[in-house]
Amino acid sequence: MAIQTAASSIQETLMPPDGVVIKTENLWKTYDMGEAIQVHALSGVSFDIDRGEYVAIMGPSGSGKSTLMNLIGCLDTPTQGTYWLNGRLVSELSDDELAYIRNKEIGFVFQTFNLLSRASALHNVELPLIYSGMPAKDRLEKAQEALRKVDLGDRMHHKPNELSGGQRQRVAIARALVNNPSIILADEPTGNLDSATGEEIMGLFERLHLAGNTLLLVTHEHDIAAHAHRIIHVRDGRIERDERVE
Amino acid sequence: MASLTHTASFLHSLAKRRSKGSGLWVTSREAFWIALEALRAHKLRSFLTLLGVVIATTTLIVVMSIINGMNLYIADHIANLGANVFIVDKYQWAQGYEAWLKARRRNKPIRVEEFDFLKENLAGYKNIGATTSMWSDENSARYQGHTLYNEEISGVTPTMIDIGVQKVESGRYITEFDYQHEAMVCFVGHDLVDEFFSSVEPLGKEILINGLPFRVVGVAEKIGSTFGQSEDNFVHLPLTTYRKFFAPRLSLQVNVQAWDGQQMLALEDEARALLRARRHTPYREDDTFGINASQTIMDLWNRIMGSIFAVTIGIVAVFMVVGGIVIMNIMLASVTERTHEIGIRKSLGARRRDILMQFVIESSVMACIGGGVGVLLALLISKVVDYFFTSTVPLSAVVVGLSLSAAVGLFFGIYPASRAAKLDPIEALRTEN
Repeated sequence: MAIQTAASSIQETLMPPDGVVIKTENLWKTYDMGEAIQVHALSGVSFDIDRGEYVAIMGPSGSGKSTLMNLIGCLDTPTQGTYWLNGRLVSELSDDELAYIRNKEIGFVFQTFNLLSRASALHNVELPLIYSGMPAKDRLEKAQEALRKVDLGDRMHHKPNELSGGQRQRVAIARALVNNPSIILADEPTGNLDSATGEEIMGLFERLHLAGNTLLLVTHEHDIAAHAHRIIHVRDGRIERDERVE
Repeated sequence: MASLTHTASFLHSLAKRRSKGSGLWVTSREAFWIALEALRAHKLRSFLTLLGVVIATTTLIVVMSIINGMNLYIADHIANLGANVFIVDKYQWAQGYEAWLKARRRNKPIRVEEFDFLKENLAGYKNIGATTSMWSDENSARYQGHTLYNEEISGVTPTMIDIGVQKVESGRYITEFDYQHEAMVCFVGHDLVDEFFSSVEPLGKEILINGLPFRVVGVAEKIGSTFGQSEDNFVHLPLTTYRKFFAPRLSLQVNVQAWDGQQMLALEDEARALLRARRHTPYREDDTFGINASQTIMDLWNRIMGSIFAVTIGIVAVFMVVGGIVIMNIMLASVTERTHEIGIRKSLGARRRDILMQFVIESSVMACIGGGVGVLLALLISKVVDYFFTSTVPLSAVVVGLSLSAAVGLFFGIYPASRAAKLDPIEALRTEN
């Protein structure tokens, strides 16, 4: 009991206040390459993101930004350090618990869209709802609503290969939105798009930001990062600079 | 304290919510549709994959159907001595060759006196009768220049009409009066009527049986044939007449009919004891006669069929295992092929259990469809076989066939599915297809 009390008091002091969506404390990710060679992809990263913020994580390839994104996206767990997501300590959860968090709290937007090619746009958007066990009728309604939000109300039954790149990315964004996640995590969302379409997608992100969503953008391009209102520069597994852009 | 209980209760509610039936139902339904979609997308591959299961199911059901058909047939045509009837004969039927050779040396024919003795001393039977018959190529029946060979000529007691399988169609059976007076009358099977009296009333006509004149007093109802052998080619004469003219010393078959199956067993014991006592058989020695019932024939039949069935089970098991391994192989390929898809699903919140379920359901659905095709094929083959021979599909065979295929799909699907479930989401997402 004494130990429990001690532990809980530590957690109480560490627990972030309500307005903070993401709080990381000294995150480390270390890969063992065998023969006692260790590679530190992240060496002690700490930052907070408040609700409603629009943040870009920027860095060259190899800087550890992908690793950081995987940790924040609950696809991976840190070797060391703590990570609070929406008031929950998620850095020590099991695989299936992480799956639950990904389902409820995180909306992914990937560079390569990552849509199921054999399924219609509507079914793709329904997927997160299927895994949260929502009955078919509610699911359909919510998925249609999400597609309308990204202006694809008339393309619901098209398959990804019948859609343009920009439309595919918008389907992916609808899929990320559909479960009302705490944070939308976009990994190089314009990397596979021409610049005009890229701008269009960035415009959509701006709209989502104004609607109150918390956005986290991972990119290596300056002009894409410039859309965000705060840029965290990462280099060699550490935060180099954390600047606000107005 | 507050935050720990907060975390604990969060994990608790998490576990509770995720194990709810409705969520599982939603994801299984999704898995079911994915399975059908995957089958539709790879028709030829699915067909080739399922060939083993199809063949196994078909073989199982066809063999079970033929055995079932033959069982019904045997019970109906060969082992049908009449209801609750046992037969005291010179030999025990359906024993091994060695036992038969031994019995041939020591068993004594059943005499008329012994029949009378059993009739007097056996208590409480429903009916008792005796027959003796010979089956010979030289047996002949003639009427107005038409001759029929090879019929079974039997001497019977009047009670045999109540015991045996024959029924009177017209006229009458052999009567007590015929029996007492060694009358020159006969009761004939339908083959003789068809041959001799196709347009004439048979009753009262005189036919020559092995050269002796007998008056037809009754005609039996048609029975049909067993394995192509007509069962209607027979002549029944009074036992006394038969003994006088044809075979005075031929052993009898004493037919005893009990009121029910329970009493039949008691009567068998009693008949055995009586006959042993009368023959002064020392108590250590075997019977010098045989007591046979429908069950005796069915036992022999079931022994033969048992070994055929065992061989079938072996063959089906081999097919099923091969079919299952093919399914496993294809599922492994399918997991590799769809690694990226698994990554996407996992990133969207699919748990291990959801992915496991998806692939297990896919392999089970696939195997079930194979089983279903096997059942249809078996029904078709069974119809054809029934046309030439005999085959009746028992419902149990269909149930066994389908559930066996489902079980094979389930079992051989588990390994590939668990590989899929254990994939790391980051690695899986990185894999390009």
